[in-house]
Amino acid sequence: MKPDPMDNEHSNALVVGAGISGIRTALDLAQQGYRVTLIDSNPATGGLLNQLDYQFPTNHCGMCRLLPLVHRDQSSQHCLRKGIFHENIDLHLSCELQDLSGEPGNFTARIKEKPTWVDPDRCVGCGLCEQVCPEEIPDCFNEGLSRRKAIHLPVPHAIPNAYVVDLAFCSRCGACEAVCPTDAIQLSDVNRKAFSILVVDDELSIRDSLKEWLEEEGFSVDMADSGKAALSALEEKEYRLMLTDIKMPEMDGVELLAKAKELQSELNVVMMTAYATVETAIETMKTGARDYLIKPFDPETLIPMVVRIFQDVEASKDRVLSVDTVIFACGTTFYNPADNKNVYGYGIYPNVLTHIEFERMLSPAGPSPEGLLRRDNNKPVKKIAWIQCVGSRDIQNGADYCSGICCMIAVKEAMLARQMSGGQIEPVIFYMDMRAWGKPFQSYLDEAAESDQIRFVRCKVHSLSEDSETRDLVLRYMDRPGHAVFENFDMVVLSTGMRPGPDMARLAEITGVGLNPWGFFDHLPFEPARTGQDGIFVSGSTTELRDISESMITASAAAANASGIIRKQDAGQKMPALPVLPEKDTSREPVRILPVICTCNGRLEAAVTKKDIEQVFDFDPDLDDPVFIDRLCMAQGWQEMKDHLADSACNRMLIAACHPYVFTPGIRRLRDDPGVDPAMVHAVDTMTPLFSTKPEKAEEKTLHLSRIAAGLRQGAAFLKHAEPASRTETAMCQRVLVIGGGIAGMTAALAIAGQGFEVDLVEKEEQFGGNLNWLSSTLEGHDVKALLEDTLSRLGKAPALSLYPGARLVNVTGTAGHFRTVLEDDQQKGVSLTHGAVIIATGGRESDTCAFLHGENDRVITQKALEGKLSEEGADIPGTVVMILCVDSRVPSANYCSQVCCPTAIKQAREIKRRSPDTEIFIFYRDMMTCGFSETYFTHARNEGIIFIPYSLDKLPEVKAIEDGIQVCGNDPILDQSLEISADLLILATGITPELPEDLAEMLGIVRDKNGFFNEADPKWRPLDSLTEGIFACGIVQAPRSVEKSIGTAQAAAQRAMSIISQPRYRMDRTTASVRHAICSRCEACIPVCPYNARTLNTEEDRIQVNALACQGCGACAAACPNGAAILEGFSSRQMLDGIDAVFYPLPN
Amino acid sequence: MKKKENIVPERAKHLLAAVREMVQPCIQCGTCTGSCPNAFAMTHTPRALWHMVIEGQDAEVLSSKTFILCSSCYSCTLRCPRGLPLTNAMSLLTQAARDENQPWFVKSQAFYTAFLDSVRRRKRVNETEFMSLFFWKMKNPILSLQFASLGLKLMKKRKISLPVFFPGQETGLEKIFEKTRQVEAGQMEKKA
Repeated sequence: MKPDPMDNEHSNALVVGAGISGIRTALDLAQQGYRVTLIDSNPATGGLLNQLDYQFPTNHCGMCRLLPLVHRDQSSQHCLRKGIFHENIDLHLSCELQDLSGEPGNFTARIKEKPTWVDPDRCVGCGLCEQVCPEEIPDCFNEGLSRRKAIHLPVPHAIPNAYVVDLAFCSRCGACEAVCPTDAIQLSDVNRKAFSILVVDDELSIRDSLKEWLEEEGFSVDMADSGKAALSALEEKEYRLMLTDIKMPEMDGVELLAKAKELQSELNVVMMTAYATVETAIETMKTGARDYLIKPFDPETLIPMVVRIFQDVEASKDRVLSVDTVIFACGTTFYNPADNKNVYGYGIYPNVLTHIEFERMLSPAGPSPEGLLRRDNNKPVKKIAWIQCVGSRDIQNGADYCSGICCMIAVKEAMLARQMSGGQIEPVIFYMDMRAWGKPFQSYLDEAAESDQIRFVRCKVHSLSEDSETRDLVLRYMDRPGHAVFENFDMVVLSTGMRPGPDMARLAEITGVGLNPWGFFDHLPFEPARTGQDGIFVSGSTTELRDISESMITASAAAANASGIIRKQDAGQKMPALPVLPEKDTSREPVRILPVICTCNGRLEAAVTKKDIEQVFDFDPDLDDPVFIDRLCMAQGWQEMKDHLADSACNRMLIAACHPYVFTPGIRRLRDDPGVDPAMVHAVDTMTPLFSTKPEKAEEKTLHLSRIAAGLRQGAAFLKHAEPASRTETAMCQRVLVIGGGIAGMTAALAIAGQGFEVDLVEKEEQFGGNLNWLSSTLEGHDVKALLEDTLSRLGKAPALSLYPGARLVNVTGTAGHFRTVLEDDQQKGVSLTHGAVIIATGGRESDTCAFLHGENDRVITQKALEGKLSEEGADIPGTVVMILCVDSRVPSANYCSQVCCPTAIKQAREIKRRSPDTEIFIFYRDMMTCGFSETYFTHARNEGIIFIPYSLDKLPEVKAIEDGIQVCGNDPILDQSLEISADLLILATGITPELPEDLAEMLGIVRDKNGFFNEADPKWRPLDSLTEGIFACGIVQAPRSVEKSIGTAQAAAQRAMSIISQPRYRMDRTTASVRHAICSRCEACIPVCPYNARTLNTEEDRIQVNALACQGCGACAAACPNGAAILEGFSSRQMLDGIDAVFYPLPN
Repeated sequence: MKKKENIVPERAKHLLAAVREMVQPCIQCGTCTGSCPNAFAMTHTPRALWHMVIEGQDAEVLSSKTFILCSSCYSCTLRCPRGLPLTNAMSLLTQAARDENQPWFVKSQAFYTAFLDSVRRRKRVNETEFMSLFFWKMKNPILSLQFASLGLKLMKKRKISLPVFFPGQETGLEKIFEKTRQVEAGQMEKKA
């Protein structure tokens, strides 16, 4: 029943990495109708987020919000942590990209599948193997805080969930193999015998011990005492692996390597070396050696290496795939605080944890489900300290960057810990700068400080020690005035920074994409998703550290770029059409249900008899006799079921087996073969309770029978009233309206027009370009003016693009798929447009202020004015410049960080220093928000002699005009001294104010947040979507961000829009609300309850309308309707009531 | 900025400029202060001191009793997230203060040079010579009386040898002293 994806060796896109970014990219492309291959080196999808149960600022998980909202029927509709399914996605886990060649439109990728020793198609996740496995090892899912067996579930909650064997720890006792009911486990001893190894060493003792060790592991071993003997052995027999000493008389290992490779080019060679010749050994790896071992070594070193080579070479399968484009979403890892100096005693003191470990402690599925307990004595934790910037902003540890997410993670963890303990825990966060840089972060932080009483201490803890008696952790730090403070804590959480993903350097080498100075993939300037290699794109944290929302944005941007390549490739061909439905509609025929029951290798009969089950159906004439099939989950069983269905005259089918999720993809495929409407097939779970228990007593057996009977009756009840898949199709208006002609709007328009769809771009000014008209360069030194010129020239040439400069929107009606908009163009003439989606890119402007004498004194200017001044080469640069950051920003009236002002201040200060090195520059700041790699430029600025002085809201700098200058008086909190600076120029960083007029928001039916920004559907998972389907936003109207990031959002929004409009027709998904007009009283109660704005009152026809595209099938309308006129397909009241009745129906005697 | 009038000699200025360049990337996180075992006795904690150096409060920096208390334990250098050579910076400040002849510094400076002079002449310190040189340098007759009780104690324990007032022989230590001078000069040149 598993799809055979390799039948079709061509895929439109290959996505490397199935973390959340990879999933987003893959789903975006799949939703557009393209075939995607998604691979991950792990045995589970979800990446890092699998271990993080809660996300800020919502404090819960929202991963399911990634699921498609249109064409929902093509995809799984359950929790994404359990896994993902989409008709257009081929998912391959435990796979690595080995090699990539070719060009855009025609790449050849070689993919290696790592063996997990358990056939995922056969494994039913019963867990018997785990019970018998004798090897217990630290559980990496819980960061080693709990224990697991060598055979284990990689992610405990995934479905379908196949076990994997960690061969490094497996003793190959065979206990699991013997107990497995489906013969899924194969430890492949036979293959080991065939893996022949040649050991070459001039010392007999070494040869003998190696032979003994390796033979004990089941390998076949031959020995040779010299290079010459080895070569003659190689001439006679084919070997898989040769272990050779380097220093041998006559012929040394290096020479032997060269000659052996001539004889057997595929031979793997491991060099054995004394410490003195390690460099030679490393050298040999360039000439074909696979690895090296330093003598003396013990079996614990040797065996895992040999096993790894065996696993890599022998047992893994290579796949070759041709793809149009490749997207990397290979993510990041965390810094290990035990590396380097380990000043915080990580791994030494049991109560020192990293934040990912603490995250597991908070999880109900984690190692500490009883609550937060100390790791040494299991007593409840009372006081926890978070230490920020461990391995971030740390030049000594090679990280001159800020990881960007740890501040908010610490705040979230502190909040959760306090809430979970009922306010018993006292959290303290030690930080350097609190980087609350995202749109909702500042208010989240304020809430944490107020309601959750988190104490924030601004200093870096230099080290900690453990009290020898109480085992409390003693932190020593200096408070701001400089007094030493000793404080005891029960637990210390290290906010470890991020590092490039483990495989990044290798992948960069394979693909020829360079690495940036920080070790991540390099991307092109102003193109966050594009690499220097054509056709290769990057998604998520591959290029820089990102939080979830930023990852979602680059993931969609990468999809936009990738779909551009695919479109170009498929230019002549049509877009993939909608799935074909079976010709015959059986829903009006008399009901005849075929019950198919899986016996699961005898497990069912062990609990109940077939006769018992047959009796359950006796009462019901609509059901045929049940068919019992062994192991329905396997291809053979599935085929048997299809044969039975073809032979019978039944028009509906009830499947009773284990996890219904397992069967969902298979049921969908019945549509094509043998042509059964998936709506007429239903799966119920009757087996999973029997995985863990084996009923012995009669009453236990009866209990199980009643459970099974209830499930079967319920399934039958659903099927009897099943409605067929909808056949109504509506035409899609394949045109997009983009409002706002700044860089975001222009980029979004170009991205869509570039794929051949019509775009209307509306700009209220006569001139396009928005804020780019006054910006000259970025912090990194990229030329913004050139970007604007290039974009404008592309705008003029794009064929499918209509420009409306100087125009404004008068009216917008309609819903997703067919909006109608009236514009008033520059000649005040009305223009009427129809379009399927809208992208809002109305942008923002620099905030105005009257603080600090701005507007009164010519020497006080804003960053924008300074940008203008600096754009003239040879402008007069004064002797002393003061900058004040966060002017009217991050205060209650505008409680958000504008993200761009700190980097702009650094950029401008450095530019002033470049032109006039003697100018003194003082920057007053609250928290430097130089997240990510901009931290490096902050370091540069300090090196260049720019002076940074922190200030707090209770001690604002004071400014007064003096003769020929401005006097700035402030307080230096480090010295607790007052400062007086006579400045020639004062620059104010006032931040960004969004421009989203209320009337426009109202016209479009979208919501503005309290600061006037576009309010997104979900701040983390759907950052650019509005709750009204078909309307998206990008650029700074959504949240403040840099030019480059705005371009990323523009491409992402373009992709989101294209996911809707790509196909010319739209068919209603199965679970969609409808209206029974005859009994509808037009009370309109359903309209406001719809969270997706899918319901409207059509006044002309006097009836309630449902937009099938917007409706997500939540059922709120059906609950609100007083007379049952609002119906949710697939959940009709008859189905629900009969289903409930079925559970209480008595058992037959 | 309100700056005290800088009356700092040329060489000291050079040294201060060198120190400023060393510590400019400081982000005032306070790790150095937290790790300093002597911070409690300092006029300004290390964090404040670096901030003052960056802000150019040279005279205040040099006249403070801070760097002289540095015991070169290197904790701050080891743990500074910016990787700054803070212990070296402290020793450069000591040199600068010496060059500037800070009033409170004169005594300890004389003590220090007297000690080394004695070592240079005899390979080891000769207490009598050392203290005599110290009193001579300080040109303060009352000072010797302050040490009288200590002197008597030492004399009782026969720790004080007869005064030796002839020049020492060639000890071979001169080379080490010369090298140190070169290193210090080179360090300054490199940093300045």
